[in-house]
Amino acid sequence: MMPATLSTPLNAKERPVAALDQKTANAEGPKDPWSRLLEKVGKHQDREAFHKLFEHFGPQIKYFAIANGLSSHAEELVQEVFVSIWRRSCLYDWRKAAASTWIFTIARNQRIDMLRKMQRTSAEIPIETEDLWQVPGENDDEPVTSLHRLMSERRIRESLGELSEEQTTVIAKVYMENKSHQRVADELNIPLGTVKSRVRLALNKLKVILQDQNP
Amino acid sequence: MTRHHPDNLSLLEYSAGNLSEPHALCIRLHLDKCSHCRSRVDAMETLGAVIMEHQPRVSLSEGMFDSIMDRVDHGPEAAKPGSASPAPAPEKRQDVLQKLLGAGLNDLPWKRQLGDVSVLDITSKFPNQPERVVLQKLAAGGKAPTHTHRGEETTLVLQGAFADHKGVFNQWDFVVLNQEDEHKPVAVGCEDCITLSILSAPVKLTGTFTRLLNPFIR
Repeated sequence: MMPATLSTPLNAKERPVAALDQKTANAEGPKDPWSRLLEKVGKHQDREAFHKLFEHFGPQIKYFAIANGLSSHAEELVQEVFVSIWRRSCLYDWRKAAASTWIFTIARNQRIDMLRKMQRTSAEIPIETEDLWQVPGENDDEPVTSLHRLMSERRIRESLGELSEEQTTVIAKVYMENKSHQRVADELNIPLGTVKSRVRLALNKLKVILQDQNP
Repeated sequence: MTRHHPDNLSLLEYSAGNLSEPHALCIRLHLDKCSHCRSRVDAMETLGAVIMEHQPRVSLSEGMFDSIMDRVDHGPEAAKPGSASPAPAPEKRQDVLQKLLGAGLNDLPWKRQLGDVSVLDITSKFPNQPERVVLQKLAAGGKAPTHTHRGEETTLVLQGAFADHKGVFNQWDFVVLNQEDEHKPVAVGCEDCITLSILSAPVKLTGTFTRLLNPFIR
């Protein structure tokens, strides 16, 4: 079931010890080390770079699979994700997404794909997972947006610590446990409206949204 | 130009991969035409990545990297970097609808319902989920009867435009209506107005029953 650690607030102690210097890995430069490695895989089929990415992101993705209730398929999911990363790395553009964001979307899509395949009956599903779920930058013919994305990423990282424990719990459940707002409400035994307002407050604090939509 | 967008909570659920297939399709079709929402989703996907990074790690089996490389080198998919083809450009995204429907929007076996309204129920294209998915067509210049909505109705305009007392909804606009919204839409412009609508189950299902019905909720 749900590991207890999920409900702990995000703090410096939980920061991972990574093979590469974490400070620079956090997108401090125009190209963070992970993005640089991913680019090397895409351009030169660099196996050493791929191995470093595997060592850093593999254990995160295994946890992601377990949190999503795929314990018995956790390593299978990790494998699918990395085969997919290798295969698609030529499409990766650091200006449009950080490697961590790009890899997160691949992991999310592979998780969805795995669940769809498990539930697939004899009827073939006419649309592919990737027809429904985007991978950032891959079908985007807009001008390059590196500055915008770097600023938005920095804002999110910097303001994450400002979230309350309650807000962090809700956001982590939504992202890591594949739980809708309704399911989070059921599980925490709080009204749906409370979940929604926690999410809204969290998004405001994180300044994810520069300007909200027109009314 | 699109003026009506999904709200932040829906986009968050999208970026986390928690939506049912019909809802994901509506959001994806909207995203392809709306850079405003696309940049919001990009930011939310970054949030997802940062959240994942702050979670515990679980160590991997010995030899796993080698077996990945083995698959990459000898696997059936000939998995080489460069072997992936880019996703179709946004203009071609309608191909997804074509793929789903097996025909163009105007060549479907529409069922005339009443007056200017035709419908086509495509729920069967989305197995294992509790929502009803319908295409609705309002003939050019036509009026729909005044109605409210059972439960929640999420609508994306696929072609043409309609207007009601709240405004004009153009192609790729996204709107959510519920029981409180009584309206009388009119198709505006010279094209038939075609929408994709998802009707939530009329009864709110909770607990394990919902989990059985919805493939994306464990």
